[in-house]
Amino acid sequence: MAQEDIKNHLKETHDRVFEHNRSWAAEQAKKDPEFFVKLSAGQTPEYLWIGCSDSRIPAEAITGLEPGEAFVHRNIANLVCNTDLNVMSVINYAVRHLQVKHIVVCGHYGCGGVKAAMTPKDLGLLNPWLRNIRDVYRLHQQELDAIKDEAARYDRLVELNVVEQCRNVIKTAAIQQSYEKNGFPIVHGWVFGFQDGLLKDLKVDHESMLHDIQKIYNLTDTA
Amino acid sequence: MSQDTRDPFTYALSSNSAWAGYKSHQNPDFFPRLASGQSPSILWLGCSDSRCPETTILGLQPGDIFVHRNIANIISPTDINTSAVIEYAVAFLKVKHVVLCGHSACGGAAAALGDARVGGVLDTWLTPLKAVRNAHADELAAIRDDKARAVRIAELNVEAGVKVLMANVVIQDHIKERGLQVHGTLFDIGSGRVRDLGHGTGKPRAAAFGGGGAGDGEVIRGRHATLVFRSEGAGMQAR
Ligand SMILES: [Zn+2]
Ligand SMILES: [Zn+2]
Repeated sequence: MAQEDIKNHLKETHDRVFEHNRSWAAEQAKKDPEFFVKLSAGQTPEYLWIGCSDSRIPAEAITGLEPGEAFVHRNIANLVCNTDLNVMSVINYAVRHLQVKHIVVCGHYGCGGVKAAMTPKDLGLLNPWLRNIRDVYRLHQQELDAIKDEAARYDRLVELNVVEQCRNVIKTAAIQQSYEKNGFPIVHGWVFGFQDGLLKDLKVDHESMLHDIQKIYNLTDTA
Repeated sequence: MSQDTRDPFTYALSSNSAWAGYKSHQNPDFFPRLASGQSPSILWLGCSDSRCPETTILGLQPGDIFVHRNIANIISPTDINTSAVIEYAVAFLKVKHVVLCGHSACGGAAAALGDARVGGVLDTWLTPLKAVRNAHADELAAIRDDKARAVRIAELNVEAGVKVLMANVVIQDHIKERGLQVHGTLFDIGSGRVRDLGHGTGKPRAAAFGGGGAGDGEVIRGRHATLVFRSEGAGMQAR
């Protein structure tokens, strides 16, 4: 990394990335005496982040977003299941009450949840949850089976899982109705790589995905 | 050009690439080590609220905390999402601590204190919190200050959530087998501090987080702060 970039980074993100509790709090208050007062007054995050519970992917740290900027839901393997009241409540609240502008579904290579789902083993309570990943595999079986290298096949499954969960987000009434009325939120699919710490944008095309989905899942009451 | 005028989406992606470059410059082993696996000591169960980024407020690093965040940090015994997280973190990753954390000024708590319908699936999701409100209706109604009432219901919500955690069979097994600890805490957005409420496996403790010295408890070191888990409760202090 060039010296210039490091300087820029330090300027931009010092105080942003590795904040902490007490010294962090003191620092924030010093920098902006109104910081906590403003935070207490309410939140207006631009993002909803749906990510994996994996300890290595703290949304704020890897994106440099400040407290107050990203509403966050994290579960095993970043799944969005339509009968899961937990994630559905998060999406509903983020879109209808907080009016977030972007929804990011973020998976990661080397996901233990994805790996566990493809292991031929009875995992008890985890079975019903991880079943959704096996369903993603079945939807893309031809493509995945053709990948001979096991690591590459898992990587691809991680990506396909993210795209499928983006689709599940777009299937909700909250997103469809808000997008029709306001032109947001936009849904994005990202994958985090531990090898380099970088986020890869899978370039999910929100507009065309929505269009395809609404042929069957239209919930806008406009037809 | 000020970053404030940039599209936040572009900002997040560019900030990530700057962060990744900085981290690997600082410590070339950082990402290879992350890639080799995770062994977090803590399972954090908190609110989705954007003002409560767990790793940030605890001063810890990627790899330290396994995380589940939902609306109003509600722990519902039959919720498959939370249950799967607990199963994975406790039985497979063998975390040593389960930390349930509520917070002041929680929108979910405020909604549960009101009588209006929130809409969609949210009313169903908030049912356990409504039950907490009803069970403590007199106490809550007696609190004049809106903010204080919201803090109180958040505390009661954590207390109820810890009870559900203590009744979880996986957690029970691991408390018995290997001394897993369960803690109930509250994050005060107004001051940025986390307070131990003394529920769970630890005994109640009057002092707020950050009180005593490191003592002889287990210590988890972050970059700027240190979390100390003692038998009588968890504490946090800044370096
Ligand atoms: Zn994962
Ligand atoms: Zn909250």
